[in-house]
Amino acid sequence: MRPHLTRAHRRYTPWLLVAPALLWLAVFSLWPALNTAVLSFTNVHILSGGRFTGLHNYALMWQDPLLRDAIVNTLIFMAVCVPLLTVLPLLLALLVQRTLPFMGFFRTVFYFPVIASAVVVALIWQWLLDDRGLVNGLGRQAGLLHHAVPFLTDRWLLLASAIALTVWKGLGYYMVLYLSALGNVRRDLHEAAAVDGAGAVRRFRSVTVPGVRGTMALVSVLIAVSSMRVFTELYVLGGRTGGVGGQDVSLVMLIQQAAAGSDGRIGYASALSVLLFALTAGPLLLLARWNRRGER
Amino acid sequence: MRSVRATVTLAALASLTLTACGVGGGSSSAGGDQAVATGRPLSGSITFQTWSLKNEKFTPYFDALVKDFENQHPGTTVDWLDQPGEGYSDKVTSQVTGGNLPDVVNLPPDIAHSVAKVGGLLDLARNAPTLTKDYVGSGLTAYTYADLGTGTYGFPWYLGTDISLWNKGMLQRDGLDPAHLPKTFDELVAQARTMHDRSGGKDYLMSRPPGLSDIVNSGTPLMTPDGKKFAFATAGAAAMLDKYTAAYAAGYLPSDVLTSTYEGNSALFNKQVVAWTTGGGNYISSTRQTNPSLVPQIIPSPALDTAPLYVQGLSVSARSKNLPLALAFAQFATDNANQAAFVKLAPGYLPGTTAAAADPAYSRSDGTPQGDAAVFAYQDMQKAVNFTPPVWTNAMDTFLNQQIALAMTGKESSTQALQSAQDRANQLLDQ
Repeated sequence: MRPHLTRAHRRYTPWLLVAPALLWLAVFSLWPALNTAVLSFTNVHILSGGRFTGLHNYALMWQDPLLRDAIVNTLIFMAVCVPLLTVLPLLLALLVQRTLPFMGFFRTVFYFPVIASAVVVALIWQWLLDDRGLVNGLGRQAGLLHHAVPFLTDRWLLLASAIALTVWKGLGYYMVLYLSALGNVRRDLHEAAAVDGAGAVRRFRSVTVPGVRGTMALVSVLIAVSSMRVFTELYVLGGRTGGVGGQDVSLVMLIQQAAAGSDGRIGYASALSVLLFALTAGPLLLLARWNRRGER
Repeated sequence: MRSVRATVTLAALASLTLTACGVGGGSSSAGGDQAVATGRPLSGSITFQTWSLKNEKFTPYFDALVKDFENQHPGTTVDWLDQPGEGYSDKVTSQVTGGNLPDVVNLPPDIAHSVAKVGGLLDLARNAPTLTKDYVGSGLTAYTYADLGTGTYGFPWYLGTDISLWNKGMLQRDGLDPAHLPKTFDELVAQARTMHDRSGGKDYLMSRPPGLSDIVNSGTPLMTPDGKKFAFATAGAAAMLDKYTAAYAAGYLPSDVLTSTYEGNSALFNKQVVAWTTGGGNYISSTRQTNPSLVPQIIPSPALDTAPLYVQGLSVSARSKNLPLALAFAQFATDNANQAAFVKLAPGYLPGTTAAAADPAYSRSDGTPQGDAAVFAYQDMQKAVNFTPPVWTNAMDTFLNQQIALAMTGKESSTQALQSAQDRANQLLDQ
């Protein structure tokens, strides 16, 4: 091949190869994201409007009586889910990694909730936690409860139930990610540490964790983003209004409520989406910094 | 390099969060107040959209309706399409934003209001000279909006209301007399207490939280007389909510009426967990299909207080390419003869025409509970009210329900809850 053709080939072929993916990203991710940011400065309703209103939508947020609850619930949801879903699946992966009888069966069982649809899982939990559900029923029959525990009507119990559901459903998926990462942790390092007298905890901290640090960072980011976007679990457990009095509403539920129906306030919903982005970006940049520091 | 990486990270984050929650924009234009030229012979084609009416029962009716019209007007074609029941509002919204709203479209008053507000519907008051003579006032009022002037944006098509339905067996089991059914809210609460006490809390008479209709029935107008502000936080409405709160606290309503597991009073009535529900005049005949063993137990009675009015109408798209034909077909489909033939297929509903409202045939029962139910529906309809103002939005409704739930669980006083709901509704009204 002639030298200038080779140079052109080297220069343009990679771009040609990534072009479809870049086009997809630009059309279906970046453009909608930019459009949302632009719409947040307008008074667009689903059927009308479109006038530039500056920061009016952002000012309206302070009048929204549910915004504070939505931010608090969403941040709590993320703050609890990130550590639990980063650490518990790793421990589970260490457990099922061993070659013991029936381990394949247990791996499959742990993965089952991942396959089930989020709505089906949430409905099952709803039936479990209802005032007349299985948990309260068993508690009463065993004489442990005199009154039903208000899992679905108390603000904090409902939030805790949604977190428990999310953790239970996510365990299997992240366990599989960790299983593949653990396969790359060198066995001889563990053996050397054991010879040097390191116990199980020390080997976990000094060999396993550094070996799967990249996966932990990835898992944390995925969980942080999905936790900030929590909707289905709270919607199904708490109902359309977000629990009694809307006290368990999440930011995404608030966005959905603002944009729903033929009178949907798209401009305001877009402003809430931008707020959600800002709130998500902060913790994620912190996580990225923590990961870089760990790599050094 | 670091700044490039930071930029890429932020862009990716934006895509992950904003894309998932982002929403598209809309479009608007006006044109509903145009006058349609009706002198020339009709020709060409139009589309006609109904809402969840293509089924074994109604398809033959619509096929015949379209054929009749086409025969009367040779050279015209009407393409009938039907949309599923779920997500109709979203479907119409996308049709409006996409500029492909069918020429004649079945819209309830709230959706018609949103479409008319952006000039998407033809003003029928301007184009149908005999409108007020041909159609019932309550139906026309539902399609005439204070914020849009004097225009009317739908031909009333069929009207529905709610009557009361009682489970005779449950009433008798708990010592209540089916011959003395409650006629007011206070009597309902009193009998709910009897049922609760006699059944040891297993049976319920009441099973729905209050809403807009209860506020209106407490004697409170929802809005100020000029229709510009909400004003429902009154002592009367608070007293009504207090009664519900006390009944809920005493266990006269199922505890889950405020939670996501609440199935609705009709579903609970079907399961024979509660002995009272509200439903349309055709409730008994539909229950015969779904739960025949319950039918012998059902006794109908008129609604407690003022009944709600449910209106369906046919509107004409202002952007129709063939307005004369669309207008003529909408009037044809909603004339008295065609409406009367239509509601024969759905007992308990009434045509939206003045001729039908005066027809004594609708006030005669065949002596069966279903016949009585249809007559009660007809009687209720004479004074029924559309409780939901067109400016009442989903967001307002959600917030009102949230506040009612807070009051009923004792987390707020009724007065405070209604005041918060009213303040929020007024804020949203200005947005």
